[in-house]
Amino acid sequence: MQYSQKVLDHFMHPHNVGKMENPDASATEGSPACGDQVTVYLKVDEEKKTIEDVSFLSYGCASNIATASIITDLAKGKTLDEAKKITWKDAMEALDGLPPVKVHCSVLAADTLQTAISNYEIAHGLKEVPNFGKETIVEELKKIIYPQVGEDIVSLKMVKYVGFTDGEVLIDMNMMSFDQWRENVADEIREHLAKYPEVKKIQINFP
Amino acid sequence: MNHKKIYLDNCVTTPTAPEVVEAMRPYFTDQFWFPGTFISTGEATNAALAEFRGTIARSLNAAADEIHFTSGGTLANNIAIKGLLGANSVAGKHIIVSVVDYPDLLTNAAYFEKLGFAVTYLEPDAEGFVSADKLKAALRPDTVLFMTTIVNHVVGTIQPVKEYNAVLKNADYKIWFHADAGQAYGKMPLDVNALGVDTLSVSAHKIHGPQGIGALYVKKGTKLTQLIHGVNRVDPLQTGGISIALLAGFAKAVELTFADLEAQTRYLREMSDHLLERLEASIPDIELNGPRGEGRACHNINVSIAYIEGEAITMMLDQHGIIVATGSACASQGLKPNYVLMAMGKNHVQSHGSMKFTLSRYTTREDIDFTVTKLADIAAALRERSPLYQAKSKPER
Repeated sequence: MQYSQKVLDHFMHPHNVGKMENPDASATEGSPACGDQVTVYLKVDEEKKTIEDVSFLSYGCASNIATASIITDLAKGKTLDEAKKITWKDAMEALDGLPPVKVHCSVLAADTLQTAISNYEIAHGLKEVPNFGKETIVEELKKIIYPQVGEDIVSLKMVKYVGFTDGEVLIDMNMMSFDQWRENVADEIREHLAKYPEVKKIQINFP
Repeated sequence: MNHKKIYLDNCVTTPTAPEVVEAMRPYFTDQFWFPGTFISTGEATNAALAEFRGTIARSLNAAADEIHFTSGGTLANNIAIKGLLGANSVAGKHIIVSVVDYPDLLTNAAYFEKLGFAVTYLEPDAEGFVSADKLKAALRPDTVLFMTTIVNHVVGTIQPVKEYNAVLKNADYKIWFHADAGQAYGKMPLDVNALGVDTLSVSAHKIHGPQGIGALYVKKGTKLTQLIHGVNRVDPLQTGGISIALLAGFAKAVELTFADLEAQTRYLREMSDHLLERLEASIPDIELNGPRGEGRACHNINVSIAYIEGEAITMMLDQHGIIVATGSACASQGLKPNYVLMAMGKNHVQSHGSMKFTLSRYTTREDIDFTVTKLADIAAALRERSPLYQAKSKPER
């Protein structure tokens, strides 16, 4: 497993790192139990709706730090609408790729940026608090990377069924019993969904 | 920056001693022969082999014919475990091992579980010790094998092997006893008779010998089913050819290590104590994993550095030419935290931030001081970027 020179550069000398005093919005995603956590802070020009300044904190490995560094580079100076289009694939590309087991780190960084933007928009009346439903669950599942190949579990058709009734999430997965990543993926699903107050119970079924 | 690397991952493998390389050289060139009878080349090799075997046997207080050569520690473990169970499974099908044992033992236990054996996995205490009382409580009339790792490969905990032996000797039935001594060999005196083991594995490259050679002690009279069938060239248990050159190197490494084992272990203990002292003095919020003092192998220091992650730390140390290991899930291929630390009751954050330093007789005080200075800078820099640290440093309301 090898990191690109770009990853190493951003890891050793990260851009936009550090806590921001009085940010206009911020978000923290991930959990130490799953290995990494990122905080993104935003300063937004209220008139122009542009990201004036952005910074991050990271508890995590080299790729976690590098992807947070690049994603903040990509977001800086952009309008909110432009920044909302930044995905983990953009971060990956800008870093000349990541080893498959490390792709999930880029998802976390991109995700945290998007949550920070969303928090800003909600606080400034630019959008409504979204209703939680099946679509929210699927959107969350799209952020979970199958570490073997570095693609998300939805595009890999590993999710067979998603249900949501009375606070109970039911997910049927299509992963073989000998798949070494089953536990890892299940943990990630729980971590992604447990943060929603609407979710009371999570049931994940494997064949 | 130092152009020479500071290598503090001697648990995995050690630098080959220059004297070892010299001792091997003739067997790679003009004395390339295999053992044989009546001809000069074969007889010369027989004599060399007998000498090597004797040297290695003496280091364990074993008889020469109780020592078998293998291609390394893992093969020695496999020959012992599969051999003992193959020969004795009529007596019962219950195995005892602990959850913190070396993967060789655990993967073999899992394999036999699939074959229909029952396995009891003993739990360690918070320092990694597995008590003899737990072993005693786990004994069953059908128990045939107990295995242990004398020095834990992650935290250096020295298991109470003599107490295990007392429990096993007092059992109503014969229970075979296998020990992995990979991390114990050359780090503490090992006397197979005092330990009471039936089989014990060691490896050359953990004591500055060459990679690719190890040995298995098999107590006289112990039956093992044969695992590897073939022509008996050097050793009846590992049939086929074994490198005589590597054996020469192994014997030389043993000579160098055991000429004054006490002085070597004293030096390692002194260096480890110095390392721990410097770490604790230079880095706030750091904790030792495993026991302090005599219960711990003399070459191992394992610490958890709070609020930061081990892969980032090891990669930054690597930039300064310092090689260490971490228990972080991010650095493992399976993205899992270290199983030994987790079994000892540590949490994910403690495992992610764990750093393992394993020293050798070539480690100097200057190496340690340089390492700690760099590590303190790295820890401070990474903490500055860590949301966990920032959250912690907020004033409590």
